[in-house]
Amino acid sequence: MGHDNNSKNVTRLKTKIKTRFVHKIILHIDMNSYFASVEQQANPFLCGKPIGITGKRSERSIVATASIEAKKLGVKTAMSTWQAKKICPSLILITGDPEKYSEITHRFNKLFFEFTPLVQEFSVDESFLDITEQAKDWFGAVYLAHSLRERLKEECGERITASIGIAPNKLLAKLSSECVKPNGITLTRKEDAITRLDSVQLTDLCGIGPRMGRRLNDLGIRNFKQLREFPREELVDEFSSYGYWLHEAAYGRETSEVSIEEEDPKSVGHSYTLPKDTFDPVLMQRYLLGMCEKVAWRMRRDGFVANAVSTYVRYGDFSGNGKQHVFKEATADGLRLFEIAWGLLEKIRDRSKPVRLLGVSTSHLSHTSAPNSLFQKEQKNLSVLSALDKIQTRYGSKAWTRASLLPIAFQNRASGLGYDHEL
Amino acid sequence: MHNILHDSVDVLATFADRRVRPLHMRWNDRNYSIKNVNLVHTAREGQKKIFYFSVSDIANYFKLRLDTETLEWHLVEVYSS
Repeated sequence: MGHDNNSKNVTRLKTKIKTRFVHKIILHIDMNSYFASVEQQANPFLCGKPIGITGKRSERSIVATASIEAKKLGVKTAMSTWQAKKICPSLILITGDPEKYSEITHRFNKLFFEFTPLVQEFSVDESFLDITEQAKDWFGAVYLAHSLRERLKEECGERITASIGIAPNKLLAKLSSECVKPNGITLTRKEDAITRLDSVQLTDLCGIGPRMGRRLNDLGIRNFKQLREFPREELVDEFSSYGYWLHEAAYGRETSEVSIEEEDPKSVGHSYTLPKDTFDPVLMQRYLLGMCEKVAWRMRRDGFVANAVSTYVRYGDFSGNGKQHVFKEATADGLRLFEIAWGLLEKIRDRSKPVRLLGVSTSHLSHTSAPNSLFQKEQKNLSVLSALDKIQTRYGSKAWTRASLLPIAFQNRASGLGYDHEL
Repeated sequence: MHNILHDSVDVLATFADRRVRPLHMRWNDRNYSIKNVNLVHTAREGQKKIFYFSVSDIANYFKLRLDTETLEWHLVEVYSS
């Protein structure tokens, strides 16, 4: 009932915005060096120092987030830790703490609802807000952005800052938030759109990745001016409906709304870098089974079953491959997922190379329940699983494990493994 | 130097305005006066709620874990500048 009322209010607000306002006012809020800022907030002795947030084992990991100080010294996101250390020997590597980031993300998104009910969580550290009704005009929008920055400081701490972009649509708002970092507020009005676009690279715009950038370059398009001048029909011939989007984007036009609906995930997956590169199939099986159990538990907790499993392998030389299998009988049983994933891995694995990382993910998800088996053994397995889920709900993810997984240990503070939080 | 540990510690704390604030900690036969509470976050272990306090004195950062079921405090991280 409460949810229905809220949906009605939001629909009413959206209609009001459409009828009463000439253009929308959208904020894009991008937390600056998010994970690193949270760590600097928690530990003040890290402030002013170059730090990099890594996975569970810093020596076999990448820099997930570099602090502002580290970025100034050349450390980039997704750089391997050894490369980052080579560039910046004073870099302090900190193992990431997903629980902490998850809670702070919840905290600032809750705060955004003080300003408008139209909030879209775009990623763990980015959100869109439609503040057309609350701001009324650009002056009001800048005032609200300042207020929001103050509230952020009160709720999350002074080290956790955000860059805010203000524009008539999500595309320009996101582009604007990139302009001044850290802690900037950048306004791009409709009449400033062309100037803003002409001051950036094609790939700076959300929706044009490096591959698309190269394809555009191949067509002789190297900037937004050239994209505007390129015939729309030829763009459509080349890229189908995406060609229309490109043409509109070149003028800073975009119509997508701030979506408040939480979408179901398209896939559920885990990957894990092994403690050492290995040729040992038993060790691989153990880690793969552990991940399949984790994936299956998350699916059952959220009421999903899957009709497809993908597995991925990365070798010591950083090459890798993956394969997907689609099947008819939906499942959320970790052992079943493992059987399929291991079968796939055996088909694709290059036995001459040591394995560095394994990954598994399920897709083709639906909310239907897994079909009841005709066989008594499988029925028993399902009822055991249901009992184990109750134990895990009560006592957490470490409450039980399969005996075959006892010889291995998933490191704590890995990307989500071993935790009961939602991230 | 950054250390991950799980040492049981004694903590003197205030419970006021629905907030917990650790004031002093005794660890390895030494008393530490907590100067700042920098960040507080929670986590779930099943249905159990755990509070984490990221605190500091003049020379060290400590991360304290409070189990709300057993009311036990543990020191789980130390960073000395």
